[in-house]
Amino acid sequence: MKSIYLGLVLFTTLLVAAGCTKKEGDGTAAGQTAVATSSSAKLSNNELKIGISQEFENFNPLIASMSATTYMQHMVSRTLSTIDADGKWVPRLAKKIPNLADGSAKIVDKGGKKKLVAVWEILDNASWGDGNPVICEDFALAVKIAGAPTVSVGEKEVYTQVESIIADPKNPKKCTFTYEKAKWDFYQLGTFYPMPKHLEEAVFKKYGSQKEGYEKNSLYSKDPTNPGLYNGPYVMTEIQLGDHVTFAPNPKFYGDQPKIKKIIVKLIPNTGTLEANLRSGTIDIISSLGLALDQALAFDKKIKSENLNYKVLFQPSAVYEHIDLNLDNPALKDVRVRKALNYSINREELVNSLFEGKQNPAIHSITPKDPWFTDDPAKVTIYKYSSREAERLLDEAGWKMGADGVRMKDGKKLTFTLMTTAGNKTRELVQVYLQNKWKQVGIEVVSKNEPARVFFGETTKKRNFDSMALFAWVSSPENSPKSQFTIKNIPTAKNGWSGQNYMGWANSKVDDILNKMDTEFKPETRIAMIHEVLKYYTDEVPVLPLYYRSDVAVIPNQLKGYRLTGHQFPETDEIEKWTVE
Amino acid sequence: MNTQNPTLNKAQIAQLEKAQSLTQIVYNQFKEHKAAVIGAYVILLFIIVAVSAPLIEKVTGLDADSQNVFNRYRPPMTRVKAGTDVRETAIQRFIDQNPEEVIIIQNQLISQKLVSPIRPEDALYDWAQLDKNKALDAVKLIDTTKKSDLRQIANRFESFHILGTDELGRDVMMRLIYGTRVSMGVGILVALASALIGLFIGALAGFYGGWVDTILMRITDALLSLPLMPVLIVVAAIDLQKLPFLNQIISTGNESIFKLVFILCIFSWMSVARLVRGSILSLREREFILASRTLGATDYTLITRHMFPNVLAPMLVSVTLGVGESILFEAALSFLGLGVQPPTPSWGNMLFNAQELIYQAPFLAVVPGLLILFVTISFNYLGDGLQDAIDPKAMRR
Amino acid sequence: MLTFILRRFFQTIVVIVILSYVCFGLMNLMPGDPVELMISANPRITQEDVTRLREFYGLDQPVYKRYFAWVSDISTGDLGYSRTYRIPVTEMMLPALLATFILSMASLIFSLIVAIPLGILCALKPNSKVDYAVNLFSFAGISVPSFWLGIVLIIIFAVNLGWLPAGGYQTTGMQYSSWFAEMMDKGKYLILPMVSLSIQSIGRFSRFTRSAMLEAMRNDFIRTAKAKGLSNQVVIWKHGFRNALIPLITIIAISFSSIFSGALITETLFAYPGVGRLIYSSIIGNDFNVAMVSFVISVSMVLLMSLVSDILYGVVDPRISYK
Repeated sequence: MKSIYLGLVLFTTLLVAAGCTKKEGDGTAAGQTAVATSSSAKLSNNELKIGISQEFENFNPLIASMSATTYMQHMVSRTLSTIDADGKWVPRLAKKIPNLADGSAKIVDKGGKKKLVAVWEILDNASWGDGNPVICEDFALAVKIAGAPTVSVGEKEVYTQVESIIADPKNPKKCTFTYEKAKWDFYQLGTFYPMPKHLEEAVFKKYGSQKEGYEKNSLYSKDPTNPGLYNGPYVMTEIQLGDHVTFAPNPKFYGDQPKIKKIIVKLIPNTGTLEANLRSGTIDIISSLGLALDQALAFDKKIKSENLNYKVLFQPSAVYEHIDLNLDNPALKDVRVRKALNYSINREELVNSLFEGKQNPAIHSITPKDPWFTDDPAKVTIYKYSSREAERLLDEAGWKMGADGVRMKDGKKLTFTLMTTAGNKTRELVQVYLQNKWKQVGIEVVSKNEPARVFFGETTKKRNFDSMALFAWVSSPENSPKSQFTIKNIPTAKNGWSGQNYMGWANSKVDDILNKMDTEFKPETRIAMIHEVLKYYTDEVPVLPLYYRSDVAVIPNQLKGYRLTGHQFPETDEIEKWTVE
Repeated sequence: MNTQNPTLNKAQIAQLEKAQSLTQIVYNQFKEHKAAVIGAYVILLFIIVAVSAPLIEKVTGLDADSQNVFNRYRPPMTRVKAGTDVRETAIQRFIDQNPEEVIIIQNQLISQKLVSPIRPEDALYDWAQLDKNKALDAVKLIDTTKKSDLRQIANRFESFHILGTDELGRDVMMRLIYGTRVSMGVGILVALASALIGLFIGALAGFYGGWVDTILMRITDALLSLPLMPVLIVVAAIDLQKLPFLNQIISTGNESIFKLVFILCIFSWMSVARLVRGSILSLREREFILASRTLGATDYTLITRHMFPNVLAPMLVSVTLGVGESILFEAALSFLGLGVQPPTPSWGNMLFNAQELIYQAPFLAVVPGLLILFVTISFNYLGDGLQDAIDPKAMRR
Repeated sequence: MLTFILRRFFQTIVVIVILSYVCFGLMNLMPGDPVELMISANPRITQEDVTRLREFYGLDQPVYKRYFAWVSDISTGDLGYSRTYRIPVTEMMLPALLATFILSMASLIFSLIVAIPLGILCALKPNSKVDYAVNLFSFAGISVPSFWLGIVLIIIFAVNLGWLPAGGYQTTGMQYSSWFAEMMDKGKYLILPMVSLSIQSIGRFSRFTRSAMLEAMRNDFIRTAKAKGLSNQVVIWKHGFRNALIPLITIIAISFSSIFSGALITETLFAYPGVGRLIYSSIIGNDFNVAMVSFVISVSMVLLMSLVSDILYGVVDPRISYK
């Protein structure tokens, strides 16, 4: 009996050990050449299989909100303007972006209110997949549906900011947009999708008065493979929710015909098995909605050591990881303590050791790709790692080192709670790293992690975190930080917990600047204004900047024209350029 | 037994004829079940390891929480150099504690040309950058009363990791040892607590019968029919801290552990309750209960004095088996990221952390799983052995 | 007998209704609602949007009102729409139920095929080396965390050996030339999840078979049969196994109850599009209708199957009577 017991123990251990070590040995060498040859033989412009690890939903662009849906939406639907891979706003369905300089956009006075009128002209050959042209009325319908109280549109303001859309009587593709307010960012219509009037208007007329009637009966739900619903380079040919979506080129696409004849987007929810699926040929590329950074780094090394036929792409993105400090915390009220916290973070070491330099350290909330970015020490305060400076500031603030290595003041320990989303590996790594760093200057930090829904739904929203909350903002270039910085946006029970100034940062000067900026049409002035805000931001340290995330993707070497964007509009925005060589 | 030897002396015969006490019989019976005995030893070993975790930490000089981000994912049996920050902190502490002695040491270090710093105050910091052996040699050469302290610091410059390091460069073995505390602690705590709940509810239902029984047993059936995993996920997401009475006991550091114990208890008392109810139902009709009732015993006395001892044995089995089950549930929930929260290690969340990189560092995923397997097997065997031991049908005399 | 069945059936319905309310309440206790989930995905949603959407979904109503609204929808046969996918829940559930059914059936059959012979073998040679080995294997099966086993299987068979796919349901984009090709392809994807699911039930079943068989072989009629000079085979199969079958049937009936509830972790690990994974993603994604329907289905299955097994008892064993 005993020997059998021991035998099994030994056997399983050996089996497992064999399983572990074999990959270094000849096992993979053989397997890998087989995979390499099979994948290179298979990979051509005939078919490309993209792996994603996040769930996707219904494809009605008015309602969809998940990033995996957006990822695929950009393959089939286009908007008037978008941000290209260089971070610049460019026209898409439109011939050009209207501007004040040449009169295609102007500010008018209507009933004592300043409004903006812009003329958008749609490309002559822009049409839906069934051959009907894309016209102004398609945009007008989108505004109408989005404005209906029976429809559960997520981000309504994008649509409702446009009061009216009037087509030129002679040219149904020349549209005059009247905007509710005269704001400089009127042309940022990257999430303003047209709705095919010839298909969707009838549905909306029939069911629009019922609650949720439209979205249940919309062709996007009932007949999602109808090519008339899409105006992008591809149309959907098969959708299996929770598993995969198949795409075929849209012959009526206004631009160059896409080169890849068939694309399948496959959902693999467990990121741990993505790599195995890639190497076994189930998928050909891992999209930016796939691997965690740690996995990408490890795979990158493996590609080099085993000479695999893939490359890992890293693209710094507009996702800003930071720690919001709750300025109501008695210890954090002292700006010296906040500065000390900032000084004791060694961002260079953080990104180099944890991310192997593939993500960039952050100095404030604006990303380097943004035209508003600055790292000029004359304009913003830069905190270079110095534990001695941190200790000096803490001593000055009256926090004296105690016998147990934790600083004390008036009999109270210098302790903070660092909260973040549970299950996010990278954040948890960073959390533990920071804890260790702060411990060295005598600040005790305990971590408390909650599931994302609790963390965002309760803790940050109601400012229930006692001192520190680690999370990220997804921003886009030239995006006003108004909702995060102004006093009006400090969430309180009174205002129904609205706003994202979770820090409770109250600086009336920042409020003034940001309010003025809304109606400032001169780009240079806007830049000067935002730099002023950043100066306050870095001086008063309501937030500890950490790093900007990078998007990662794994593609085979033969795939060309693939470019990660690093912002809210994914790489599929230029999918017609992809080709296998 | 002993029939081959007809010539027994009187004492031996007396020995044989003496009635064995019940515990003795059970114990002898249990000893027959070899696997259960091995299981018991394995559990004992794990408990010893878990209890002596701080001692092991002291002896090996390794620390479950100290990280070394430049040496992540090291394979087993590697020697790793400590990070600069760790060394400098140690030196700084040393300087803070012995300001006078430090000056002597600094001067000696410089005069003996062991280090050549730009500023004399940095001498010790420079010494801290040396290799472990060189640093130790340097300590030998200088003359100070704090030699042993310095040697201790130098010993920390290098660490040896039997099971390698994890995603933050922490020692995997130490984390597994601390994880043993959490995982087995959760398992045992849940099994004991749910046994108490089950005992209470089962006794109430079985003793009073009638509508009390109906209601309690319907609740038990209902809970048993709930799909456990989804319900656990839902409940794990609920913020229990909002409940005021829990807020008192739970402090931030171990909140997730107590929450987990609490949740698992709610959903694991049912089998014990059924078992207890069943035995009490049959006991209720027995003569000795009737006898004590006529003697004027209260319900409380009847239940605690006369009935509990009789259900204790089957409950013991159930608790033992429950420990294994609870360990598995802890692992499963932590595996989904809903159980014990980092940095507290548990076998389940170590597995969770490792699953993303099972190709690069399969070892990290394999070892915690093996430990879960061994401990659960041992508990199950122990339970099996106990069951055989107390089951009169299975007795082999 | 009929009154007994009716009474039990009625009780079961009541329990289902109460449990569905409990589940509904629990789901509501989870912090954050669907609207808040949208906010975290899109920071540009304004407070006006939030209030509007919350009113829209009726999230500002108290729990019991929403529960009654939901129940009245259900009773008219409208299972509602998935909030995430915007399609009827039935359309989502059916393929998932089918997938889970295939997986659970395969695993059940596989484990019975392996476990019953093992159990009988042990019962015939109790306390032999084989018995101990099988016993250890069974214990290991019961004790192994199935997700960990899944990971280890993936490491060995999908990564190192490359024999089997690491996860999924079928080869994506594959056009099947025949039903046989389809079966072969889907079967390949089924093996690893099936094995990792089966190990535990193999352990349970083989131990159960062993004890049931031992019990049966201890009966007097076995001795009689042997004494009559019947062949060993006849004694084992006709007299022994047949009697061991009765308790076996009940345990199999109980296993049937989980045939539609799916294996949450295994399905998620192997990216298998079954009910378990659907439940998990609907809980995480706050897809109320889907989660509730799945809850109700699995609760009903468990309760109905225990009812069925009670009735079966009476049919199989005339000694049991219903009061």
